[in-house]
Amino acid sequence: MVDAASLLKMASADTGSADDALAGPRGPRPRPKFSRRNIFLYGTLLVVAIYYLLPLYVMIVTSLKGMPEIRLGNIFAPPVEVTFQPWVKAWAEACTGLNCEGLSRGFWNSVQILVPSVVLSIAVASVNGYALANWRFKGADIFFTILIFGAFIPYQVMLYPLVIMLRELGLYGSLWGLVLVHTVFGMPILTLLFRNYFTSLPEELFKAARVDGAGFWGIYFKIMLPMSLPIFVVAIIIQVTGIWNDFLFGVVYTKPDTYPMTVQLNNIVNSVQGVKEYNVNMAATLLTGLVPLVVYFVSGKLFVRGIAAGAVKG
Amino acid sequence: MASVVVRDVSLNFGAVEVLKSLNIEVEQGEFLVLLGPSGCGKSTLLNCIAGLLDVTDGQIFINNKNVTWEQPKDRGIGMVFQSYALYPQMSVEGNLSFGLKNQRLPADEIAERVKRASEILQIEPLLKRRPSALSGGQRQRVAIGRALVRDVDVFLFDEPLSNLDAKLRNELRVEIKRLHQKLANTMVYVTHDQIEAMTLADRIAVMRNGIIQQLDAPQAIYSRPVNRFVAGFIGSPGMNFLDGTIEAGAPPRFKAGDAVIDTRGYEFADRPETGTKAVFGVRPEHVMLGEQARGMPYTCEVAIEIVEPMGSDTLAWTRVGGQNFTFRTDSEYAPKEGEKVLIGFDPARASLFDADTDIRL
Amino acid sequence: MADTVETALAAAGERPAVRGRWERWLILGIAGGVILRLAMVLGLSVWFEDIGDAGDWIAEGLPWACLAFAAFALSAVISSSHSGFSVAGNRLRGHVIGWTCAAVFLLVFDFLGPQIKPAVSFFGKPARIFIDFCGTHGLFLAAVCLLVAAALAASGSERQLLTRPGIFERVWASNLTAKIAALPMMLVALGVFTGGTIWTVVYSFTDSRLLPREKWVGLAQYDRLWGEDRWLISIENLLIYGVCSLIFSIVIGFLLAAMLDQKVRFENTFRTIFLYPFALSFIVTGLVWQWVLNPDFGIQGVVRSLGWESFAFDPLYNQDIVIYGILIAGLWQGTGLIMCLMLAGLRGIDEEIWKAARIDGIPMWKTYLFIVVPMMRPVFITTLVLIASGIVRVYDLVVAQTSGGPGIASEVPAKYVYDKMFLGQNLAQGFAASTMMLLSVLIVLIPWAYLEFGGKKRG
Repeated sequence: MVDAASLLKMASADTGSADDALAGPRGPRPRPKFSRRNIFLYGTLLVVAIYYLLPLYVMIVTSLKGMPEIRLGNIFAPPVEVTFQPWVKAWAEACTGLNCEGLSRGFWNSVQILVPSVVLSIAVASVNGYALANWRFKGADIFFTILIFGAFIPYQVMLYPLVIMLRELGLYGSLWGLVLVHTVFGMPILTLLFRNYFTSLPEELFKAARVDGAGFWGIYFKIMLPMSLPIFVVAIIIQVTGIWNDFLFGVVYTKPDTYPMTVQLNNIVNSVQGVKEYNVNMAATLLTGLVPLVVYFVSGKLFVRGIAAGAVKG
Repeated sequence: MASVVVRDVSLNFGAVEVLKSLNIEVEQGEFLVLLGPSGCGKSTLLNCIAGLLDVTDGQIFINNKNVTWEQPKDRGIGMVFQSYALYPQMSVEGNLSFGLKNQRLPADEIAERVKRASEILQIEPLLKRRPSALSGGQRQRVAIGRALVRDVDVFLFDEPLSNLDAKLRNELRVEIKRLHQKLANTMVYVTHDQIEAMTLADRIAVMRNGIIQQLDAPQAIYSRPVNRFVAGFIGSPGMNFLDGTIEAGAPPRFKAGDAVIDTRGYEFADRPETGTKAVFGVRPEHVMLGEQARGMPYTCEVAIEIVEPMGSDTLAWTRVGGQNFTFRTDSEYAPKEGEKVLIGFDPARASLFDADTDIRL
Repeated sequence: MADTVETALAAAGERPAVRGRWERWLILGIAGGVILRLAMVLGLSVWFEDIGDAGDWIAEGLPWACLAFAAFALSAVISSSHSGFSVAGNRLRGHVIGWTCAAVFLLVFDFLGPQIKPAVSFFGKPARIFIDFCGTHGLFLAAVCLLVAAALAASGSERQLLTRPGIFERVWASNLTAKIAALPMMLVALGVFTGGTIWTVVYSFTDSRLLPREKWVGLAQYDRLWGEDRWLISIENLLIYGVCSLIFSIVIGFLLAAMLDQKVRFENTFRTIFLYPFALSFIVTGLVWQWVLNPDFGIQGVVRSLGWESFAFDPLYNQDIVIYGILIAGLWQGTGLIMCLMLAGLRGIDEEIWKAARIDGIPMWKTYLFIVVPMMRPVFITTLVLIASGIVRVYDLVVAQTSGGPGIASEVPAKYVYDKMFLGQNLAQGFAASTMMLLSVLIVLIPWAYLEFGGKKRG
């Protein structure tokens, strides 16, 4: 359409001139909106997107149905009668063994584990990364290499030695023990993250501060910290999702009354006693997944940056 | 007949107008340089000619064929990039022949073309190597070779020398000039380096903000810049600009502070009105010193403030009419700081611009 | 003039050889004492238990002996140094005071610990643990601190303004703060990662059951391991899961990334959708897919209710294909990450390469296959290592989705280890199994590390 119009315009402007070569295509290349390529591209993306969204949809739908409706209908159908009873039950009444307090206790346990773990692991790792990046000392690289290797070693190899160490410290089975474990196992990735970030800062800054007489902690608190807010946010995202989602350490290093939410969730859903209440199970699952999902949707690009920074350079 | 014609080409990225209705005609065998500061749209224009970017409006002709909607590969062009853009996992030979293989040319034809291109560029010993094993200069030769084997009439260069160090840049500049003489192809060359532009070009298009400021032969651009931007952009060290006003007289006189310059010999485009605010531009290399200055239409005595020896010549900083003024002199006869010297220049070689519109008077 | 200064410098720079040697012994003594003590705490002491009372004495006394030796070395250093001991003009005054304070602090808590324990209970468990810790190890650590303080004082009081500082000063005082700050990292790297790994490997040669004990049985645990069905099935599952997951996640991840790289609209929306499962835990993933794949109500049930009565898709209840059911969930959770890494790699490729390929008239798929993919080799390798080391750890997913069932059809090594160690009271079996896991990771890791870091040295 546009092209025809512009052609006409051209023709009228050039009336009389015999310059036919100047007619013809003008402006942007015509692009059909529904080319075969586009249909294929968006079609595939859409199908894949549906595959990825389906479980979330099923979770939400199931958690809002009553048990009779679940037994009759199919899992993809939207709820006929929306009920929040399963959510209430999952939060406050669901049973694991003899204990019927629901997920709430696991939630608070997880919070109690999460907060000190995140703070401690990031504090330790950021100082480590800073020492490695700016105060290179002999042997530092060896320790760092071991640390990075440690990130790939299966945790199972270190499980029991840590049990012994924690027992020696009197922390085995307590929340503080688990905090320590999270700090230890969060160290490789976080140290790498902070080291790479501090290395990327201009070294002149560090040198100038040293010339001005600032010491190790002076430079860290007055120069490095204020400049590294984004990387701290990335680290917090990594740790919050990682620690909240942890299951193995929770089940190994805590006792039933200090179990984190994931462990408790698994015990509720996979308990063999009683009738399976799928709607309650799905509500509980959603509740547990809510924290990392919120972190993910709120943090957006920073989350991507976090995993990319941690993974590509690892 | 023109080899490349750009007709009313505009390009918008969203609301940003990158190119504003440009018109250029490049003759067959001509070497055209697009020159301008970064962000002026020169590379964008080149990408439009190559077909890597869609124009928003206008037409592009290559060899009398309207190629506005053609794919890059069908436009009969070769292109050389700043970052060389060699395929890193292929040998030099593979780089040269990959495009030809995709055109399904017969093998002996490909071999023939690769041989010829590598002879011209003297890269025969490198054919089996990977790009990572080559120096910057060699890589750029291979990149030129990749354009060469395509056997096309129009070469496009997108800042091809910017990634090289100064010495190599000079060498390859001469090489490109030689190549142009030998092949007599049309070449469109983008650069921000005015020396490259001056030395290589048959014609230069100076661009700013998506508009061509002046399209002319290098010497014309140097001696008769159409506006203050072009005047300041071409030439190193930059032109001296004195702010002042036009005063009545025949010919009119230019007054800046205590300096009054008679414009005898200067070709005005239009006789300016008295009292017009104007800028008087004179190139440092057109200023004479001492004995030589005496013969000049305009002379004055100035105190030297700073001297910058540059080896071949020396740059001296002083004041004329209360404004900063530099001139260039032979290092042998360079004045000393604090010395009072006589300088002079010929207004006929100078440029006068309207202070409000920046256009040449 | 200059000559005389230089000769003076050279003369002053010559340190008495004796002193340098004793400084070395001093450092070795202190370090040895600390390491021995740590080793005793971690379990070395049990080796001496068999000897009886004398064994306890050795376990307690060996580290102290090391410290005593260090003290002797210190006296030798002081006696051979130029100006003995000075406090006022000491260059390392600050450090000396710091270490002394630490010693005093430890001693105070060591002796007063029992008295103030009720008072500090206000601070909660950590404070109580700290007091207990001082009670058992305070004296030893105080001795270490005092030795270090004395050594620093000796080192710093020497007249050597123009000379090279002594070893002790170089090791302890240069970047000391940085080293102390990096101490947690060193402890973790050595104590947990290296020490813990070695400990597990060593104890896999014992017949430890409920508690670790040092009855050596050679490779018997490994023999039993490889004779056990459950372990063999675990390995088989891991192989199937690993190979499929590697291939599918890399292929799917790359294809998705390449699609998103086509300047598609709503790119951010699509990326957000593909990546969100990665934010969820394996437990949540496993439970959701357990529900979606439920034969009565899930996909199978829905398709059957649509009229296709014979439709069968119940991977979680079919021993032969249960591992593929887990694979579907695993891919759902993990491909988003791979896609993101690949997308980052694609975006990292020089735009001019694409332009050059277009000018050369190379079709899009050929550009990807012959130019872009080879250029992304590092990204592929990193992804590979990342996926591989993740696969070996697969545990939560299986626990949540199938608990290893039906029967033992979906067991994996990580689960085997946990069950043997913490449920089966068969520690050494768990150790042997985890050692095998470590071995499999090393097989992937070492060639990669060699390529990655060995290559850099050559390049």
